[in-house]
This record gives sequence, C-alpha cells and structure tokens, in this order.
Amino acid sequence: MARYNFRDAAEKTEAMREFGRLRAAGLPIPAEVRERHVQATNDGYATGPEPGERVPDFALPDQHGALRSLKDLCGPNGLLLVFHRSADW
Amino acid sequence: MELEQSRALFAKNGVSMAAISYDSGEILAAFAQKYAIGYPLLSDKGSDVIRRFGIFNANMTPELRSYGVPHPVEYLISPGGVVVEKYFVENYQHRVAGSAVALDRFGEVAADASAVTLESGALQVQIGFPSRRAFAGQELSFFARFTLQPGWHVYAASSIEFETEAVERQEVAWPEPETMEVPALNESQKVYTGAFEVHGKLLLRFPLPEGELVLRGRLSLQQCSESICEPPQTIAFELPLVLEPFVISDRDREMKKKVTG
Repeated sequence: MARYNFRDAAEKTEAMREFGRLRAAGLPIPAEVRERHVQATNDGYATGPEPGERVPDFALPDQHGALRSLKDLCGPNGLLLVFHRSADW
Repeated sequence: MELEQSRALFAKNGVSMAAISYDSGEILAAFAQKYAIGYPLLSDKGSDVIRRFGIFNANMTPELRSYGVPHPVEYLISPGGVVVEKYFVENYQHRVAGSAVALDRFGEVAADASAVTLESGALQVQIGFPSRRAFAGQELSFFARFTLQPGWHVYAASSIEFETEAVERQEVAWPEPETMEVPALNESQKVYTGAFEVHGKLLLRFPLPEGELVLRGRLSLQQCSESICEPPQTIAFELPLVLEPFVISDRDREMKKKVTG
C-alpha cells in the first residue's frame, strides 16, 4: 500500500473531503482515494497517557445531563474509559 | 452496541465503563436510548478533555464535521486514576473489542462464546473466541486451552494460524515452555506439558460484509511421549462469528437512502 506524504493539514483535509464527496454521492470510491483518506485521518496517531501515568482529572455531563467525575465513574476495580469519534455519524 | 455486550463481564470484575465523544448531551441521549446503552456517555463538547488527554486529532481543519474527534483509544484506569493498560489500533477504522479486554484482563468468556474442542491422541484443545458477535475492523482475542495426558508433551514450536481472507494480522502469545531433558538424544527440548492456555489476537479487516463469518484456522504441533513421537500434525478448525451491521446515524442513513433511491 502506498505511503502518502501530506504537506500540511490542508492537503489532509482535501483527502478527507474527496472521500466524503464520493461517499455522499453514492459513487464508488477508488482504493487510492480511500487509502489517502485513511492515512490522512490516522496521521500522527497519538494515544495519550502511558500505563503507569495518571490521567487528567475531568468532570463531564452524561446523557442524562448529570455531571460525572472520574472518581464517581470508577468502579471498585477501575474504569474502562473509551474515546469515540462520534455517536452521531 | 459492542461495549454494552461486555458490560456485565466487566461489572462482575468490579470495573465500570464510560465513553467520551464530542457530541452534545441530546445526541448522546438519543443514541443511548436507541441502542439501550446502560453506561455513561460523556459529552466533551469543544473537545477540551480530548485535548487534555493528548489525543486530539489535528489532521482536520475546522470546517470538517470530524474536526474535534480524538484518535480512538480505550484506557483501563485504576481507582487511583492511573492508566493500567491502554488499547488501540493505530487506525481509526479498528477498535479493540470489549470481549477481548474481558478475556485478556479477567479471563472471562461470554455465554455466546464461539469455541470448538479438538481431540487428537493425547491432546485435547478447546479453541475459540470469547464472544460470537463481532464488528468488521475489530481486534479480537482468542483462547486455546490445551490438556495433555500425563507422560506426553508437545514441542514449543507449535502454531495456531487463521486464514487471512478476513484477517488483516494475527499474533499468538505462547507461555514460557519447560525445558525437558531427552537422554536418548543427549539434548534438552523446549516443551509444554499438562494443562496450559494460550491467548492470541487477530485484527479483522475493514470493511467486511455483515452476517456470518466463518474463520478457518490450523493448529500445528507435534506430540511425543517419553518413548515415541507422533508425526507432526496440522488440525484444521472453523469458528463461526456473526458480524453485526455497522451502526450508522439516522442522518447518514437518510443520506444513503436519498442517493441510492
């Protein structure tokens, strides 16, 4: 699989838009367009704190509007915290 | 959805679950209701917490709807707020299955595990996936539980391999073997005896059609007693999975309908 080099965020955005345009139009997506989009999206995949590191403290509203903190979310043996792209698409 | 299926296994082991995304509370409420999600969905509008975790995806410019998303990661966090383990595939199309974490972390297997028992000579192997349900692109864990009759061993150079049609990559973690002296050959061998368990991981390709997926694999090994060796053998097996349909939002479904008529 080709390794694409993107000059800047604008080029990556264009790769994502080209993919998005074809998908929205219901047109077949050539393999290179898909691959460019995937590589642009995954570029510099950052994964955050390592095992052994403390996570940032936070408090966020849940789907019922209640504010939840890390402490309050945690079970007796811990918490599986999952970061998603979106629930909407 | 996939995490919800594993939630009971996590709860049994005292670990709770929560998800974070940049969606508003309303969107999350609708999603939770539609898919009967029982764990908290946290609204990180503006992606502040995503940024503070250091996983903000900087590849999008602000006019894209995907601006603000994280690089997907899952963290197992201790009650003290420290990362115990993190799970990710460096590709947003792939996710580590909740069932994989439940197997690897707690040794848990769901009621709908997909497993087969293979028997040959002095060997019995139960091999399978902790859940029958999966999604395209997921990283799954599988187990192989070996039982050898007393007096028999298998050489450490054994392998379990799945066909690659639906599998992008795979790896197996074999336990540390024992060293056994073989006086007749005046050498020592690395072997496994008795009962032992092996875990492996495989990454399903993305996309894959929904519905039944039969994963075919081969177990290769050689079993020997103190006096004789069986010929090396390869045992083929099949494990059925059910690939769930991809969850798409109502908005995307409408768009699809408009386009395909």
